[in-house]
Amino acid sequence: MTFIIPIGPQHPALEEPTHIRVEVKGEEIVGVDLRLGYVHRGIEKALTERPYAHGFYLAQRVCGICNATHSLAFTRAVESVAGVECPDRARYIRVIDGELERIHSHLLWAGIAAHEIGFTTLFMLFWRDREHALDMRELLFGQRIYATGTYLGGARVDIEQKHIPQLIRALAELEKSTKHYIDVCTSDRTVIARCAGIGVLTKKEARELCAAGPTARASGVDFDIRRDDPYAAYDEIRFDVVTERNGDVLAKVVVRLREILESVEIIRQAIDAMPKGPIRAKFPENVLENEAVGRVEAPRGELMYYVRSNGTNKPERVRIRTPSYANWPSIRPMLVGGTIAEIPIVVASIDPCFSCTDRVTIVDAKTGKARIVTKDELRRLRK
Amino acid sequence: MIETLGYIFAYFVFPGILFASAVGLLFMGIDRKITGHMQHRIGPPIWQEFLDVGKLFCKEDVTPAAANSFVFNFVPLLSFGALIAVVLLLPINSAQPVLTSVADLIVIIYLLNIPAVCMMLAGYASGCPFGTAGSARYVVQLFGYELAFVIAALAVAAKAGWSLSLSSIVAYQAQNGWMAFQVALIPAAIAILIAAQGKLLRVPFDIPEAESEIVHGPLTEYSGPKLAILRIAYDIELFVVAAVIVVLFFGGPVPHTIGGVYIPGVVGFLIKCFGIVVLSAVIRNIAARLRIDQALKFFWTFPTLLAAISLFLVMVV
Repeated sequence: MTFIIPIGPQHPALEEPTHIRVEVKGEEIVGVDLRLGYVHRGIEKALTERPYAHGFYLAQRVCGICNATHSLAFTRAVESVAGVECPDRARYIRVIDGELERIHSHLLWAGIAAHEIGFTTLFMLFWRDREHALDMRELLFGQRIYATGTYLGGARVDIEQKHIPQLIRALAELEKSTKHYIDVCTSDRTVIARCAGIGVLTKKEARELCAAGPTARASGVDFDIRRDDPYAAYDEIRFDVVTERNGDVLAKVVVRLREILESVEIIRQAIDAMPKGPIRAKFPENVLENEAVGRVEAPRGELMYYVRSNGTNKPERVRIRTPSYANWPSIRPMLVGGTIAEIPIVVASIDPCFSCTDRVTIVDAKTGKARIVTKDELRRLRK
Repeated sequence: MIETLGYIFAYFVFPGILFASAVGLLFMGIDRKITGHMQHRIGPPIWQEFLDVGKLFCKEDVTPAAANSFVFNFVPLLSFGALIAVVLLLPINSAQPVLTSVADLIVIIYLLNIPAVCMMLAGYASGCPFGTAGSARYVVQLFGYELAFVIAALAVAAKAGWSLSLSSIVAYQAQNGWMAFQVALIPAAIAILIAAQGKLLRVPFDIPEAESEIVHGPLTEYSGPKLAILRIAYDIELFVVAAVIVVLFFGGPVPHTIGGVYIPGVVGFLIKCFGIVVLSAVIRNIAARLRIDQALKFFWTFPTLLAAISLFLVMVV
């Protein structure tokens, strides 16, 4: 005898609306089904109705946390379409921008994860140290959250020399506290009791379900766009791709915390290696007919923008593939076999960004019922 | 007549409703302030709990239709009343409590469980899945911590010559020193402090009201004055559980004379209670919440074993 427990659309463990149908047998979870589509905003369509320069700002608003990577992925695709080459200094500014965002996003996630397992003190401390990253974003790019250093054809603002010492101090603080947090998370017995061996995603499952980013790297999938398809200045910077083998929630915590240390190191190298020079190249108003893909390693995994231009100043089609969307299917093997008390932390462990994941729902106008489009139907539609 | 007035005074003022509520709310306020500081926040002022409860009393009394039953409405008062009864049974100012019975300790252990039972009933009566889940977890947790708590208390009673009267336990400690410093009873003292953490639903044992999993457990559907009474009852419980531990292990109320000034026993008693509240606040800020099965396993192994060792040592040695 099994029961269906609905998690969401409104649930205390979820920050944003989604609907997870969990099938349980007593305390044990035997099946999981997902229903997305509560915060669909039609951004892909809206992007095709705006000039590139305006669409750039809209792309940033896809996600409140990874807006720098969204603008960078959009810019990367659009620059390839238009054939614009970004100046050297701007490439380094983009690296610093992206890595500061990764640091604050990972610390934000770690705080939420600590909250899900009831460790409020750790939650508060993570968010205290996240302030260092946010302050630096404000200092360098003008805003705490919706800040970006990228612009079409280069960087939006230059990094001033007088701000560098402050940035280096903040990095030292972040490095020190992150090392301490890694110690805490791998030695505190209550944290281990709640995280170790929970929500395991094996390497095989991670590959089959196309998991991305830290979720996949915690399962031992050694893949990182920054190294495997370098953009900005990542090909000139040395860094390690952090992987863990266990694939449980603890591994996902440790991967993200160790990535913060790598990010700190990347920013330090970028500061040292940053050349002088112009920060922006001219971006044409109209873009000739072309198509391109821009891939970026967002804090949650691989983010992909596909842009097709048609000779006007507006793109003809933009397609966004966010990392959270790629990670949702891996929820299933992580939850099945576990207990109900594990649901909040396991769902949180993929760092889901709900507004990023929402896509179109096909609803029959006559009956009002939503339905799933099969692969064959999609094939037929294409013809 | 005088005796009746004395009882009325004891019930309503000292050490009854007024005193216990004031101390409980103040302890909770201090607890929240300590929590704030440990979490690198400023934290609310220490009288915040008074303001919160006062505000709740001013709110409209809303009861969801599904929850509107005698049990749901009566439970806050029952819980509050049981805890006031415990306060009257405790030797707070001198070794002699306001009320005495044949076996104080048994009555106190019994009365201390009434708030827990009340919460379970409230959860089941609230007609809310979070309340039901919270109650189910509470039942399991009750069986976990209660075993260690009772065995630790029994070890003390055995040490005091199988006396179940609190005044004789206090008198024993006045002669032989605190129970917590008797080698045989040190494990029991540790066990009862851990069990108290479970009894007070504090991290790592706040499982029945885990807010990220089941909102507020049995309290989810409560609001307004009923929630205010439950909040006061919880704050008094914080004080009362600390007080029971002080009476059993830390000497109870001892009057002092410092520099010719007579300091009544209640002052020292409150300071000791405060120490236990601070310890509990620190523990709740340095741990994550366990799962209910992990908590039960933990309670039935570590603290229960410690308490049993103490009982064994007291009885054999």
